[in-house]
Amino acid sequence: MLFQGLVGLSEAMYLWLVAAGLSLIFGVMRVLNFAHGSLYMLGAYFAWVAFRVSGSFWVALLAGPLVVAAVGWAMEFGFLRRVYSAPEAFQLLLTFAFVLILDDAVKLVFGPVYQSPPTPAALSGAVLIGHSVLPTYHLFILGVGALVGLGLWVFLEKTSFGLVIRATAADREMARALGVRASRLFTWVFILGAWLAGLGGALSMPVRAISPGMGELIIIEAFVVVVLGGLGSLRGAFVGSLLIGLLHAYGLLFMPVFELALGYMAMALVLIVRPWGLFGIREG
Amino acid sequence: MRARLAAGAVLAVVVLLVPAIAGPFLRYLVLNMLLLALLALSFNLLFGMTGLLSFGQGAFYAGGAYSAALLLRAGVPLLWSILLGALAAAALAAVLGAFCVRHTRIYFSMLTLAFGMLVYAVVWKWTAVTGGDDGLIGIPRARIGLPGPLDFSLDSPARYYLFAAVLVLLSMAVLHRLSASPLGLALRAIRENAERAEFSGVPVRRTIYIAFVTAGLFAGLSGALLAPLEQTVSPSTAHWTKSAEPVMATLIGGPLSFLGPILGAVVYLGLKEIIVRFTEYWLLVFGLVLLAMVLVFRGGLVGAASRLRMPRRRT
Amino acid sequence: MAPRRGTTRRRFLKSTGLALAGLGLPRAIGAATADLKLKKPIKIGCQTILSGPLGGYGEFMRKGATLAMEEINAQGGIGGSPIEISFRDEELKVDVGVKNARYFVEDWGADFLIGIDSSAVALAVGEIMPSLNRILIVTHGATEKYNEDLVFKRHVRQCFRVCVPVYQDGIASALVAKDLPVKRWATISPDYEYGHTSWRMFRAYLKRFKPDVEFVGESFAKFGTVDFSSHISKVMGLSPEGIFSTEWGGEAVTMVKQAKLFKVFEQTKAFMIGMGAAMDVLQGLGADYPDGVWASGRYYFGYPDSAENKRFNEAFRKRWDTYPSYPSETAYTAVQALKKAVEKARSVETEKVIEALEGLELDRPAGKCVIRKEDHQAVYAVPWGQIRHDPKFPMPTLTNLKVFTTDEYYRKPPFAPVEG
Repeated sequence: MLFQGLVGLSEAMYLWLVAAGLSLIFGVMRVLNFAHGSLYMLGAYFAWVAFRVSGSFWVALLAGPLVVAAVGWAMEFGFLRRVYSAPEAFQLLLTFAFVLILDDAVKLVFGPVYQSPPTPAALSGAVLIGHSVLPTYHLFILGVGALVGLGLWVFLEKTSFGLVIRATAADREMARALGVRASRLFTWVFILGAWLAGLGGALSMPVRAISPGMGELIIIEAFVVVVLGGLGSLRGAFVGSLLIGLLHAYGLLFMPVFELALGYMAMALVLIVRPWGLFGIREG
Repeated sequence: MRARLAAGAVLAVVVLLVPAIAGPFLRYLVLNMLLLALLALSFNLLFGMTGLLSFGQGAFYAGGAYSAALLLRAGVPLLWSILLGALAAAALAAVLGAFCVRHTRIYFSMLTLAFGMLVYAVVWKWTAVTGGDDGLIGIPRARIGLPGPLDFSLDSPARYYLFAAVLVLLSMAVLHRLSASPLGLALRAIRENAERAEFSGVPVRRTIYIAFVTAGLFAGLSGALLAPLEQTVSPSTAHWTKSAEPVMATLIGGPLSFLGPILGAVVYLGLKEIIVRFTEYWLLVFGLVLLAMVLVFRGGLVGAASRLRMPRRRT
Repeated sequence: MAPRRGTTRRRFLKSTGLALAGLGLPRAIGAATADLKLKKPIKIGCQTILSGPLGGYGEFMRKGATLAMEEINAQGGIGGSPIEISFRDEELKVDVGVKNARYFVEDWGADFLIGIDSSAVALAVGEIMPSLNRILIVTHGATEKYNEDLVFKRHVRQCFRVCVPVYQDGIASALVAKDLPVKRWATISPDYEYGHTSWRMFRAYLKRFKPDVEFVGESFAKFGTVDFSSHISKVMGLSPEGIFSTEWGGEAVTMVKQAKLFKVFEQTKAFMIGMGAAMDVLQGLGADYPDGVWASGRYYFGYPDSAENKRFNEAFRKRWDTYPSYPSETAYTAVQALKKAVEKARSVETEKVIEALEGLELDRPAGKCVIRKEDHQAVYAVPWGQIRHDPKFPMPTLTNLKVFTTDEYYRKPPFAPVEG
């Protein structure tokens, strides 16, 4: 029984990586990046290419997200910054345009058939927990997710750059008055968010089939997580991911009929009780 | 005012002439454009006029489609099935709206997204009633149901086109009147500054609620008209990708004018149809077109010349 | 090879001579036919999934149909008229599928329609075929409602299907399972009509053969699942001895990989995947496909060991540099079936071709097949086999093939409802 929860938590880690970036970007830039799922997809594809070239999973894990970070930079610098002064709807439309473009671009380059990289032998083992078998890879993912959480917390709370991010997220006018260069900050935050999504994709590469359109599957879930947790709150994104992961795992056991609907039901319920999400900041 | 009336009349005439001058596929395409235009107008009642972006109009579109389909399969005449279908969608909006109008902006949008996907999930799983993922098929295109000599059969596609087109045009006229009415003014005031509207005596929540239900009604009408057209309805009518269509159509055409969503629907479907004939990579081309629209044509096609008057985000 | 009706002797000798000389010209089923003075060109509209995670299927289908077109045109076409095939993305959406069908017929001027992967789209498009007055030959969509309800019960005669339906996954599988030393079965299958029906059929038919069998658990994964971990842990917690699955495409690949990580194959005695022998799944899993898994499809390149199948494989590999997947064979056969029927009817008129298609016998790469008159379903046998890694091939292949007669597993009219 507890084992099912453990499995659910490890599933949640991929979601956490995507939701973290999404949440950071929204918190600082007030942009809801529809294309964040596509960055996750690119992370998987680039990592796969790196794996084919180098033969090493660790190199792939390193290189893939870095390339995605570069793509993120290009997206922000070249396109997104032109619509900061436009209404939210247009920013959403811009990021949605990127979803369409990236989906087909990937299809053009890699072909429409899904790819399936082999699972590295080093990570194919399993451990026995009680009577159940848990793959080593799932433990690995749990570790990475926790590490990222810790790293982000340290970064935001203990570094000066993190302070700047938190200040801007809380009150942009004030931050600007105090000398923060918003444009530079936005670029770095977007790059960081893209890197996180790319990392999620790279990590999923050995254990899932990768295909054009895989971004759309995860972005809606990430939206649910981020809203449920409270827009702009990284803590909310973390708790939200865990909640959704557990809900999914236990939902399968007790209410499988609702599998499709569980995440949305949870989000709707949370919003009805706490209109700004679990940890969201009351706006206006 | 007279210019607007003339423009409306021209539009109506053009639309009604289509079966006479166009081939069956073009007629079919235009009818799809009309249905999307109605859906987009319903969406824009909330977006362009009130400033609320609904990602869940598909819930009501599907509500209208499935209700009408079930009624038609039960033998209810066409006109009644469609009107009752639209009313059923409005009833759904009345229930969901009670929750949604308590939120604003992104949370509103996300809640509508959630409700849309919940409807999708219910439709997908409730196989006994909705046919599940196979959908409802064999929906009869019954007789229209007006008394006596007016009881036409709408079997021929041209006749159904005229029937649906007339209903869509009437709805457009109603929505246009609405936007110029005190309700419309109240909604625009809320969009500009909800606080100030409240202080000047506008019951903000109640007004938004009325707009939400009205939007649901017309979205449902659009869906109800779909059921006899294809004689099938499927869960994809409730999916967020369907809800995204009126959003894109409106943003392409321009949310600040009444004509915007209509024009946007025509361009969106027309463009997709053209692109698909040349390349299978239509997502790429469409994405590039959208990119150009956003970076260059800020106010959509209609508002390209005028400055945007959308409320600034609070930073 | 006797000359076909309508062939001049000279052309017959020439084509046979060339074929015998093995000059590498595509040898069609039968010699080149004379000009029947039909419309030129004959147009076939094909819609299939070309985008998203299942886009690979459309690609394979397109390759198969294109190969048929090229071969037939090299022989002079259908009754002397060249054929033209246009492809459109069905997007697995009903409204897109219907719009494509209307576009093909009302705008592009298609004489026939083929294709369709999604069962729901097949049903919806089938619904409008009478009003379009064209023949539709489905090449992938597998719901039994298509032939049992639409054609047999409701007499929508324009609809045909050349691919084996869900009987392959629900009934033939039971025939294999009854001989396996497994008493406790569970399933991880897709959460839509198809997944539920195939599991229901498997349970109903297996219970008949092996009354002491137990069905201990089930987990249905929503469309688009990328992580089967929770499903696997749920099902394994019930200690099954065998797992049955109708996951397909990229999802099947993901499921098998993850099941492997969870050591499912070491803890169970049998694992059956209905569409596990599709070429993309074989290639996608590669070395990760555990030996001994039972798999099947709508066609397997290695069966039957016939001249026609060998020829098809060689031609396909030469043209596309890959082994054929089952949508390739079904699309190829659909086009060939149209050729045969049109030439038999000497017309492209829908009603006449319908009559020609009914009862038509085909010698297709998948074997000998007959298109049943009652429900317009092509009847042919596809094997179930076990995965093995043969160094002769670049991908895993099937061994220990179990072939059943179509009598044993195709449901017959009047189609009683499925129990359970």
